[in-house]
Amino acid sequence: MSKRKREISRRQFLEGTGAVLAVATAGPALKGQLSSASPPVTDSAASGAPSTAIRLVVNGTEHRLDVEDRWTLAEVLRDHLGLTGTKIGCDRGECGACTVLLDGRPVYSCSNLAVWADGREVQTVEGLAQGEQLDPLQQAFVEHDGPQCGFCTSGQLMSAKGLLTRNPRPTPHEVRSAMTGNICRCSNYNRYVEAVLAAAAAGGATTPKRGSGRSAQSAKPSAAVAATKSRRGTTIAAASAGGVR
Amino acid sequence: MSRPPILTPRKTVGNPTPRIDAIERVTGKATYSGDIHLPGMLYGRILRSPHAHARIRQIDVSKALALSGVKSVLTHENCTVVWGAGSISGGRQYADEIKKITRHKRYVFSNPVRFFGEPVAAVAATSRHIAEEALRLITVDYETLAFVLDQEEALRPESVKIWPEGNISLDANNEAEPEVYRRGNVEEGFRKAAFVFEDRYTTTYVQNAQMEPRVCVASWVGDKLTLYTPTQGTSNCRHDMARDLGIPDEKVRVICQYMGGGFGNKNQNQDADLIAAVLAKEVGAPVKLELSRKEDFIGVHGRWPTTQYYKVGVSRDGVLQALQLRGYSGMGPYRKNSGAIGGIELYQCPNVESSVYPVYTNRAVSGNYRAPEFPQGFFGIESMMDDVAHKMEMDPVEFVLKNMTRKSNDEAPYSNYTLEDCIHRGAEAFEWKKRWHAPGATPGAIKRGAGMSFMTIRSPLGQSSAVLRLDSNSRYTVFVGVTDIGAGAKTTMAMIAAEALEVPLSKIDVVWGDTDRCPFSVGESGSRTTDMTGTAVIEAARDLKRQIAEKGLPKGQDALIASASPKPTSEGKVRKSFGAHFVEVEVDTELGRVGVLKYVAVHDSGRILNPLTATSQIKGGATQGIGMALHEDLLYDRRTGQPLTAGYYGARIMTHLDAPEIEVIFIESDDGYGPFGAKCIGEAGIVHAVAVVGNAIFNAIGRRMKDLPITRDKILGALA
Repeated sequence: MSKRKREISRRQFLEGTGAVLAVATAGPALKGQLSSASPPVTDSAASGAPSTAIRLVVNGTEHRLDVEDRWTLAEVLRDHLGLTGTKIGCDRGECGACTVLLDGRPVYSCSNLAVWADGREVQTVEGLAQGEQLDPLQQAFVEHDGPQCGFCTSGQLMSAKGLLTRNPRPTPHEVRSAMTGNICRCSNYNRYVEAVLAAAAAGGATTPKRGSGRSAQSAKPSAAVAATKSRRGTTIAAASAGGVR
Repeated sequence: MSRPPILTPRKTVGNPTPRIDAIERVTGKATYSGDIHLPGMLYGRILRSPHAHARIRQIDVSKALALSGVKSVLTHENCTVVWGAGSISGGRQYADEIKKITRHKRYVFSNPVRFFGEPVAAVAATSRHIAEEALRLITVDYETLAFVLDQEEALRPESVKIWPEGNISLDANNEAEPEVYRRGNVEEGFRKAAFVFEDRYTTTYVQNAQMEPRVCVASWVGDKLTLYTPTQGTSNCRHDMARDLGIPDEKVRVICQYMGGGFGNKNQNQDADLIAAVLAKEVGAPVKLELSRKEDFIGVHGRWPTTQYYKVGVSRDGVLQALQLRGYSGMGPYRKNSGAIGGIELYQCPNVESSVYPVYTNRAVSGNYRAPEFPQGFFGIESMMDDVAHKMEMDPVEFVLKNMTRKSNDEAPYSNYTLEDCIHRGAEAFEWKKRWHAPGATPGAIKRGAGMSFMTIRSPLGQSSAVLRLDSNSRYTVFVGVTDIGAGAKTTMAMIAAEALEVPLSKIDVVWGDTDRCPFSVGESGSRTTDMTGTAVIEAARDLKRQIAEKGLPKGQDALIASASPKPTSEGKVRKSFGAHFVEVEVDTELGRVGVLKYVAVHDSGRILNPLTATSQIKGGATQGIGMALHEDLLYDRRTGQPLTAGYYGARIMTHLDAPEIEVIFIESDDGYGPFGAKCIGEAGIVHAVAVVGNAIFNAIGRRMKDLPITRDKILGALA
């Protein structure tokens, strides 16, 4: 089993998995668990496929993992870290259900290989609330009936989080532009936009929390914010992230 | 103009209420079927046909079986399970007799394969990647056969016969007959009419595209199967699984806690459920079978494409004299639903005739998608009537008010009737008189136009069940076999229970989505859950209150248990929900682009139990309808029979940037039936949303767009 770092292009990755690539799922039975402690890495690379040792900081907790090079970030979060809040709707960068923040920037975790995230910081929906205290975005999503079936909700939340971090007072059009890479087939788009605007109006931006408990968990919060500042539109960021290597 | 009173909110129902499980949904804690992981679980994958129609000469699975980690491979040679709900049904899936007699059986692995994407083999392996590798090691020798994709073409004598009896889909009696409805005498009506108009409309296959692709975890303990699967009806799914596998119902447990939408895609059981169950039995371990987005798109089902020919006769003053529809619905190679085309019921007319032919094709199978037969039919007939109004030089709203239904099929009374109020209220809120103008009248390249459409949709009553338990700690637990597809059934049931029991919502717990813990429920299809299971909850609450009055509140280890399985009727009256949509669009006549500027949706769905979630339902339905009107499609390569646009990008599903603000207005009513007077809502928003966009485009550009979707190229072509 190879432990060296390998360069895997998006093309090879897609060719290898294309037609039959399907939903990556697993995690502990009947609960999506929070990663307050690093759970044991089950099902680690064992099939004889090339693998690589990586280090991920997920929701402020460091994980050292031996991952198969073909595993996507979404797959590792869901199957091997038990963070099943991240959903996989298409597994090919079309729907945004799997959106997470990678160094503060929204990306499609289905279109990023786990090895590409080596040494980087990941935030998932499980890392939004502070204990029982919901993030203002989560609170607004509840009050405005954002989630209908709820399957796209984690992705919508993470895109919105990325947006409010770099633009605390977006216009409705800026919200739609930033989140248009997140499809909601229940089509509750009006509600999601309302909710993000309400969270922004309520001070839902991350600004007040910087330097508090959250940034203490974060390996490099200021760098994460800086990385997103110059970007316009989550869609572009998220959609192109898989190809940026 | 009369304005019906808005119903006063009661203690719980009628108040905007966040979902009782909203926190689980925003924190990632809600457990969907794909989140289930069982010890020792294997992964399943399906190999699908790369041909639209082919006979399998030989399948060689030896290399796949030899791959380390592969535990089992199924093909048509070693698995002959017949999927009852996958064919024949004509919308009558629950009748076991039909499965016994049908000549057109749908095997989970079929030979010949009749559409691109039909399952050919399935693999169980220790990881999903190994299962995928194994699929690539299966070699199949196909003899390709001629195929046909279009429903009208399929009826030509020279077209390949997909089944020996020909290409008209057999009904539940094994007969190749169209669905026919008649009243009066259309020939006489046309003779009497001052004007007769004829036209043809077509609609395409659009897919449910619910966010959660199909996934199933099957686990056998002894001879009992537990299935974690997203299903819009645990009770129906259990029964279908038991019947198809030849085991008693009680040997199947179906669990569906959270589910990522369905819109009809997840009714009953699916072939994936059967395949997972057989694989799990074969290998003696739990199996998780996952479908990719593409597989979900072409391998499950979508809305049936249609071709509709209308002939309409009107008197000199614009009153309908005769109405005729000849329609063809493309079912794919199995008849998974009726293939009906709704719409003629919208109009009052003495002479009506409708013949609709469900036709086999070699496309993806057609089945339920939110209001199965309505959006495509309403697009056809409401475009047709809008055109008739135009030719008669009438305001379309005036034409509708003159000709719309007043009684069901002009004879049976509705349980209440607010269609006229919906139209007046919508016209007023939308400022119809100000926005509607002569077609194509806006000067310049960017043209604005206004359209309207209206609807009625069934809101039947029927049997369902509920159990209520009261403990000494004053917690009320509602046991209902509902699954929460996204409409909020769990919250609605809790609200109904709180209202009926006269206790705060916070005192209610709900146990749902598990056939071992919950009684029968109708299933989350046909917009029935609130009406049917909600009525059962009210009846159970009545029983519980009676028990409390007799025995007092339970103390210590006592508990009170109440239950109900009511079978209410509307006493000969026809229950329907009503609605009217108004839209203003902007059409760029140089680029063909359509933008929605204003959208007003007025609905009477009886009493609105939870205005927060009800509004979301209407917004979502209307938005899906706009997508179907403007861009959603599944294109096929006519040379190879292969689908080209499966998936969100290809099929052009609505996004944040596409979605306009939908203004929702409820006209509430209480017809004395259903839970506190609630009526159908889940499908109500989509049914006329397609038609209204087409009519507004006509008003903008003065060209009638007759073929869905109304894409830019078609608009530019019409203007050229």
